[in-house]
Amino acid sequence: MIRDITLGQYYQTDSVIHRLDPRVKLVTTLAFIISLFIVDNAAGYIIAGLFLAVVIKLSNVPVKFMMRGMKSIAFLLVIAVVFNLFLTQGEVVFSIWKLQITKEGIRLAIMMAVRLVFLIMGSSVMTLTTTPNNLTDGLEKILNPLKAIKVPVHEISMMMSIALRFIPILLEETDKIMKAQIARGADFESGNLLKKVKSMVPLLVPLFISAFRRANDLATAMEARCYRGGEHRTKMKPLIYSKRDFMAYGTVCVYLALCVGIGRMLF
Amino acid sequence: MAIIETKDLVFEYIRRDEEGNVEGITRAVDDVSLSVKQGDFVAVLGHNGSGKSTLAKHINAILYPTEGTVWVDGMNTSDEDKLWDIRQEAGMVFQNPDNQIIGQVVEEDVGFGPENLGVPTKEIWERVEESLKAVGMYEFRKHSPNKLSGGQKQRVSIAGVIAMHPKCIVLDEPTAMLDPNGRKEVIRAVRALNDVEGITIILITHYMEEIIHANKVFVMDSGKVVMEGTPREIFSQVEKLKSLRLDVPQVTLLAHELRKSGLDVPEGILTTDELIKALGL
Repeated sequence: MIRDITLGQYYQTDSVIHRLDPRVKLVTTLAFIISLFIVDNAAGYIIAGLFLAVVIKLSNVPVKFMMRGMKSIAFLLVIAVVFNLFLTQGEVVFSIWKLQITKEGIRLAIMMAVRLVFLIMGSSVMTLTTTPNNLTDGLEKILNPLKAIKVPVHEISMMMSIALRFIPILLEETDKIMKAQIARGADFESGNLLKKVKSMVPLLVPLFISAFRRANDLATAMEARCYRGGEHRTKMKPLIYSKRDFMAYGTVCVYLALCVGIGRMLF
Repeated sequence: MAIIETKDLVFEYIRRDEEGNVEGITRAVDDVSLSVKQGDFVAVLGHNGSGKSTLAKHINAILYPTEGTVWVDGMNTSDEDKLWDIRQEAGMVFQNPDNQIIGQVVEEDVGFGPENLGVPTKEIWERVEESLKAVGMYEFRKHSPNKLSGGQKQRVSIAGVIAMHPKCIVLDEPTAMLDPNGRKEVIRAVRALNDVEGITIILITHYMEEIIHANKVFVMDSGKVVMEGTPREIFSQVEKLKSLRLDVPQVTLLAHELRKSGLDVPEGILTTDELIKALGL
């Protein structure tokens, strides 16, 4: 049950995309997002759409999974479309009561919707094909230059991976505390929102105490195993670029050039 | 040559009130001098609050003595330059298996120690493989620690310590949170390390069955070492153990009672087989 909750939304399968270096995937996702804001014509969006479709096909992840992310932004999508549709000034196509729909409004609304959908799908491809662990490793490596300006990159990535490791444990603990409280007559189910939030207090207090205790234990255990920060540390699974990764970078560059060339200049 | 030696070791916990004034001082370890030989299997016994865990934390230089000295392989634990060498040579396994596993995959957790020591990547993999094999967890190397049983998690923790190539492992009540099967698994793994690899083991526990295999037993009470000897010597003194609020194994107790009621049974019977033989059945 609660033990089986997997984090992030990694989809376990084997594909070219899964095997890519996490850094490539991070950079590509970023490039893709930027490209969505560079292009401003239909041809550009067709290129972006094709690129996304090819990547999704290569990733072997069922499209159904990609669509899951869409649910969470459905509301946002509707708002963005409605606002753009009705509040853009320009050539009036038709009007209902006081609301006017303009040609520019329709154009903007469609662009916004396509952008949002592509954005979410693009980033889902990354989280679906990369384990959270790999992602943290990739982030650490990419952000490494920031060490020069005293950003504790290693520490941040260590915190992220420890958080990921402990989320299932804390969830299990929450479950346990909840059952213990229910056994003594606590009621988490009924009442309005305020009452429900209030009933969380006796749940959160023991959870926090236990989390601190765990943190203390873990820190001692890490020190006992000679952990002393990122310096002098070697990696069991170092990130090394392979030919495949350079090819991916190349493809991304071509894609960006196409976006700028076609999506921006022509029309 | 003693791998671990303590001399007149004293450790005091100081309790302070909100203004930082000393409220009270608890002497957790009181004037302990002991020495452990390389390759020994030592058990430290004592009920809750007897100071056994505090003593254990001194061996790994997690706590420093208030008074007295601790040497690990000739290195003084108060010497800050030697801190990381000491922690590498004397590994430590703690009570709660969940709170000492760092990796999200078994093999990554075992690799954590060697990574910290700066071992080259290729050697890390070799060490991880050999350590997981030594505790019989190799086939679980790709698993998530969350899906393992308590005994398996504890064996992973032990593998994580072995991968650092320590000379000595301190286990601080490693079985206290496990079910009987998990307890057996862990003790079996620990004994194998001692027998096969010759690693010095210091096992802190309050389960009597676990100390039968030790070469030497220290019994602690209110911070002091009150008894010292082989398991047989210790278990010969049933009355004294009882006065320290410690249990003795059932067989030993039965033999003791039989002897009291006049049968010719020697003191310090440790196993059922021994008792059967002694009774001539």
